[in-house]
Amino acid sequence: MEISREMIEAVVRQVIEQVYSKEKGKLSDSMYQVPNEPSVGNGQLRLLEIGKALKGNKVDEVVIAVSPEFGLNKAQTITGIPHGVVLKELIAGIEEEGLKARVIRVKRVADLAFLAWEGAKLSGSGISIGILSRGTTIIHQKDLQPLNNLELFPQAPLLDKETYRAIGRNAAKYAKGEPTDPVPVRNDQMARPKYQALAAVMHNKETQMVDKNADTVELQVKWA
Amino acid sequence: MIDEKRIEELVREAIRSLSISGKEVKSSYNPKQNVSLEDYPLGLKKPNLIKTATGKSLDELSLEGVLNGQVSKDDLKISPETLELQAQIAEQAGRVQVARNFRRAAELNVIPDERILQIYNALRPYRSTKQELLDIASELETKYNAVLNAAHVREAAEVYESRGVLRRE
Amino acid sequence: MKRSKRFQVLEQRPVNQDGFVEEWPEVGLIAMGSPNDPKPSITVQNGKVVEMDGKKRADFDFIDRFIADYALDVEKAEEVMKIPSVELAKMLVDINIPRSQVVSCFGAMTPAKIVEVVEHLNVVEMMMAVQKMRARKTPSNQCHITNVKDHPALLAADAAEGAWRGFDEEETTVGVTRYAPFNALAILVGSQTGRGGVLTQCAVEEATELTLGMRGLTSYAETVSVYGTEQVFIDGDDTPWSKAFLASAYASRGLKMRFTSGTGSEVLMGYAEGKSMLYLEARCILVTKGAGVQGLQNGSISCIGVPGAVPSGIRAVLAENLITTALDLEVASGNDQTFSHSDIRRTARMLMQLLPGTDFIFSGYSAVPNYDNMFAGSNFDCEDFDDFLVLQRDLKVDGGLRPVKEEDVIRVRNKAAKALQAVFKELGLPPITDEEVEAVTYAHGSKDVPNRNVREDLKAAEEMMQRGITGLEVVKALAKNGFIDVAENLFQLLKQRVSGDYLHTSAIFDKNFKVLSAVNDLNDYQGPGTGYRLEGQRWEEIKKIPRAMKPDDF
Repeated sequence: MEISREMIEAVVRQVIEQVYSKEKGKLSDSMYQVPNEPSVGNGQLRLLEIGKALKGNKVDEVVIAVSPEFGLNKAQTITGIPHGVVLKELIAGIEEEGLKARVIRVKRVADLAFLAWEGAKLSGSGISIGILSRGTTIIHQKDLQPLNNLELFPQAPLLDKETYRAIGRNAAKYAKGEPTDPVPVRNDQMARPKYQALAAVMHNKETQMVDKNADTVELQVKWA
Repeated sequence: MIDEKRIEELVREAIRSLSISGKEVKSSYNPKQNVSLEDYPLGLKKPNLIKTATGKSLDELSLEGVLNGQVSKDDLKISPETLELQAQIAEQAGRVQVARNFRRAAELNVIPDERILQIYNALRPYRSTKQELLDIASELETKYNAVLNAAHVREAAEVYESRGVLRRE
Repeated sequence: MKRSKRFQVLEQRPVNQDGFVEEWPEVGLIAMGSPNDPKPSITVQNGKVVEMDGKKRADFDFIDRFIADYALDVEKAEEVMKIPSVELAKMLVDINIPRSQVVSCFGAMTPAKIVEVVEHLNVVEMMMAVQKMRARKTPSNQCHITNVKDHPALLAADAAEGAWRGFDEEETTVGVTRYAPFNALAILVGSQTGRGGVLTQCAVEEATELTLGMRGLTSYAETVSVYGTEQVFIDGDDTPWSKAFLASAYASRGLKMRFTSGTGSEVLMGYAEGKSMLYLEARCILVTKGAGVQGLQNGSISCIGVPGAVPSGIRAVLAENLITTALDLEVASGNDQTFSHSDIRRTARMLMQLLPGTDFIFSGYSAVPNYDNMFAGSNFDCEDFDDFLVLQRDLKVDGGLRPVKEEDVIRVRNKAAKALQAVFKELGLPPITDEEVEAVTYAHGSKDVPNRNVREDLKAAEEMMQRGITGLEVVKALAKNGFIDVAENLFQLLKQRVSGDYLHTSAIFDKNFKVLSAVNDLNDYQGPGTGYRLEGQRWEEIKKIPRAMKPDDF
């Protein structure tokens, strides 16, 4: 199927304008610009591929598995948090608990549970955090069924910086085998009517970057 | 183009013959008696036909029995024979597929919970090699006499192979 | 531009908080009639479908193959497929043609044909058709019982109130996944305190859900999802074969189950193959039929924001309910997720199912405040109870609920909390205090109840599963602590598995555990004076809302 860049941009622009028009005012044009070379990323966050991701053997690591489009193109969540900020918070949370983060990109699937499960299997501790471009996040463990989880944060519009840090901390605690209180669950029943169609548009963009035969790659994270 | 009359004929024909087609699947469980739609609900109208998996009758199942230890959790299990009776009811209500499901269920009835869960998980995408699925089919057939389910798993193995959802080593 | 004051007022209206999108057919962001939807066709050779909807058998994906081999009546398919779609559409609304005839035709139609038929109907015709085609004659309703703290005593109290108000099925799910065993246990005890015979389920990952059922901690299952494209089915971690096996596994334990699907899931998961939401949903419904599952929860469900954002989307949602009934399956018809900020819109959407009546008008009316609804909110919640009761009374329509007295609700809530307190004590689970019992008795939601020690609860929930606690231990615990009637109800519920009568299409229990299904309560609607009529005792019950003033009082 051929879908032009222009078409995607037009639809995303339209949806975002409708959704944001109320409380945020008009967004600047820059956020819609799709870079010509997708592996470059945007100015704030640079994710450099440094080879095929291998199974870790350090028990003090937590893998952060990002989705095919994370950090590329718009590089922000459904509510506009830059991916660079999200990643910083997750890593800071993990490091607060004295553990190390290892970031990988899963390219062959854009389904949150499966990409996190793959991360968990590569993680030396068996614990991973999975995250999609729109911000939806999960904490996974290698021995669980793929669609099960330790903690799931399905409502991306409710996730803020503090929550991402707490998710990082909790993932590290699971990795250490410490008793862990789940990050308090938040619920906004009005997120769906407002954001779900936008989520569909964003996710279709994400899945268009899936390469079923691509290896999962290790990423070097740089902030500009 | 077909005219109105032909349409009417076709509809009528379709309706007439849709009362259960010939390709019924018979299960390996043959209860002593057959039942009809009038016998439903069986628990109310034909309680004497129903035995638990452990051979108890419905009368023997009471709260009192639970409290004095005469009724255990195994006594609260449906039997394969009852599932066959319910399959007959479904069939007579015109629900061929539901009947087929109840007959597959009758075969699974004797398989332990743990093994059922394992087989289910083995049938999920990318979990099993073709040989592993074929081995499960043989086990179902030889160990549990579950012929319908064995055929189901064998077919899955074939479909998974052609659609690329077997486990990748 | 100088702003118009009228437009500024309109901008503030709730409906303008909703998201709307124009169609994007290339990725399947279109409700009905995508240019990429296949044209109906079928070729049968030697009793086998060799071509369907323009695709040769060799090119079938696993969904096509499953439908062709198990859902379709191959003997009739070629004949029925020749009937013009508009004629088949007329059969749906013609009161002179009985339900059974329409069911026969739909059982011989391909997904593309089914969609082409229902596209001929407007929403009023679809409602007429649902009234005739739903499987069970008596309509019913299901509720959600959840809270954001996963507080067990509050779950039990809310389950008791929900049962008391008239819901025949109750569904819970979790905030924290590992709470599942407690949540299942809590609504099981609560429901049987409110009314014996109410069915309960716990929506979690498939294998866990089955385990809970096998243990007797739930009495049916619903969150067994199927999808309309192969890729999304795989992302959902299943195939038609694994799901059909799961269906038989439930039946083998005497447990009722239905599948779940809904328009919008495929495009939301990014792999709709450019097909319309309704076409893909028709495939889901046929997979359900082929698996021999008695029923389906659909009506977009958790993806309602997607069809809700595109033109004719809510019509497509009604159409998917209709197709389910026309294929002789039980339908739990959605309305179970927040769908709009606008009260006008959410009511209009709900009337599509309330007016004709379905097997379960809501597959999750939130019987808790929406802030506590862990399915991310329902279309109606407990704050809408009185509006809903008045709608039933205004229109003389049976939506499954009844007016209740405050003192009765307080009584059943208190009893349920105490019953669960006793069960927790008896099973050695972290205690439920008297303060908690008191709080949940009078609570509106989890904001009114104290926090639990979550870590201790989760540890105990895990141990409870490891120890193999079953429904029977719960029965014993209840009886030992004097809750004989609740113990009796729970025991009866477990006993129903032995006879298997409630495995049949659209089965529910009344308060005497008499099963009511599409076998002994088959819908026989054929126009005025037939089918389900709201009358007699039930109408008297619905009439008597407590706030109606008596003329004698003046």
